[in-house]
Amino acid sequence: MEGIIKKYQQKFRKAKEEMGRWDELQSRLLSQFSSASAIIQRLQVLQNSKNYGALTCVQGIEDSVLAKQMESLQVILLGMNKTLEDFCGVCTTLEKMARDGAQLIKGGSSISSAKQQQQGVGIKPSVAVCLDGLRLLSEMHRSEYHLKVSVVAALGKVALNLCDIDDLGALPQLLVDQPNIPREEVQGIYDVIFAEEIC
Amino acid sequence: MKVKTVGEHTAGIWTWERKTERNWTGKSQIIGEDSLHRRAAISSGLSPHSAPAAALAMEFQSPSSDKLQPVKQYPPPASPSSSSSTSSSAANIRLWKPAAQRNLRNQWSKLASLRRDWVSSSSTARSHATSLVNSYLSQMYMSSMELGVLSDMPGIRKKASLKLFKQQELQRNNLLASYKDLVDIVTRMVYTSKSMRCYVKGMSNSPLSQFSISAEIQDDSGDGGGVSVFSFWPISQYELLAKELVEMFVSELNLKRLLLMELLSLGHENVSEISDLNWSDEFYPGEFDYLAICNLYSDKDSQPVLPSFGKCNAEIGSLQPQHKQDRDVLQVYLTTWIAEVNIERSRVDDILSLVGAEMCVTIT
Repeated sequence: MEGIIKKYQQKFRKAKEEMGRWDELQSRLLSQFSSASAIIQRLQVLQNSKNYGALTCVQGIEDSVLAKQMESLQVILLGMNKTLEDFCGVCTTLEKMARDGAQLIKGGSSISSAKQQQQGVGIKPSVAVCLDGLRLLSEMHRSEYHLKVSVVAALGKVALNLCDIDDLGALPQLLVDQPNIPREEVQGIYDVIFAEEIC
Repeated sequence: MKVKTVGEHTAGIWTWERKTERNWTGKSQIIGEDSLHRRAAISSGLSPHSAPAAALAMEFQSPSSDKLQPVKQYPPPASPSSSSSTSSSAANIRLWKPAAQRNLRNQWSKLASLRRDWVSSSSTARSHATSLVNSYLSQMYMSSMELGVLSDMPGIRKKASLKLFKQQELQRNNLLASYKDLVDIVTRMVYTSKSMRCYVKGMSNSPLSQFSISAEIQDDSGDGGGVSVFSFWPISQYELLAKELVEMFVSELNLKRLLLMELLSLGHENVSEISDLNWSDEFYPGEFDYLAICNLYSDKDSQPVLPSFGKCNAEIGSLQPQHKQDRDVLQVYLTTWIAEVNIERSRVDDILSLVGAEMCVTIT
């Protein structure tokens, strides 16, 4: 029984590493998003030839600058898609951990009954708590991933001139807030699983 | 009886073997002749159609006399077109090659590092330009700014304006210093791109061969008579690519000079007394000498060349910088500074990796 809990704790430690990776990706995505929207906001100014001041004497400058900016925008958008893929990778790893966790008790016949799963030894978490925790973590990240995909898709629409940048509304803020991954809840899960280490 | 048949049998095999051997050598000769003839025909300007007929005729000649012929006909790998008397001999080229290889590697790694310097200096300049623009705009909006409780303080707006003005002074100097760096970098690039050749130094008949990047002997073209330096390319190919690379930076420098002129002229009439900056002015002492090296100074008009994409449609006198600029215009200026429209980054990378592959080194 204790051995199996140890295995679960191991999984939670691994999950923590994955979440660290998630945070790295998050900061990368945020910087990509802000540079992309900066370029998009600039595009309108760049499209007005009145804004070129002394540069108007250089023939073709308007097209060249615009083309260059579009090029960098494209590079950033591609980079964002790559970041999203990496997010998806984290989700997949977390889901695999949750599945593996469920497999653990199927293998050991001694804890197959629901009652045994509920039992906790002292301050140690019960099997059911561990399973729930892993499942929750993976679900949170998966739904946050879906949110990110739709925000990036909205930005892509703006970039294609299908709608105005202001139409994004609160979406960029959602990207920062990560509403599907409440920090306290994640911390709560870890507090229960590693209760013995806290005391 | 039995022995005889065996003997006949082996003899039969033996002759068969000899036959195939002869066949095989014959065939290979045909192929060899054919390709050689074609090559010879191409190099001498004849049409290649006559080659197969010649090869067929060759098939019936005695093989021993044939064998020597191809060696004589074999054309040298590259016809020495611009070869000079000093460097065309095989021994000289053997000595010349390592020196030329070393020189090329040095020059190209210099080019690559200058390119890195450019990137960092250009972005430093951009950040100076951004802060210059920001303090200019703050100063411009000072009169309409909501100051809240601070508005009761005597002379607060004036003091703030003065402070912002002083900041601009500093930022202008910083920006000019970064521009100076850029000019310096591009000048060195131009110099490097022109130092690809490797010349014989001193007397050609001295026992010690020495080489330098400046020509000392007349009719020494410095390219080893057009032979390939590493695997395929002659010196001229390296020069061509270096020229293409450096020209991007040269024209970008020219565009940046225009932006610089505009940014340095920014200022608020009430506070600042900015001396009028014109395109034909030297922005710092000695600038024109450098620009002349980069081919950016026109002696005819005695002013720097105007930036252009193809052609410039500005009158020389019309380039009068404005002291007041709209914020959108300033944003366009800064964007143009970042965008570096003249430098195609992927092409620069391509050139460097191509040359690196040819020289068997990685240039980064």
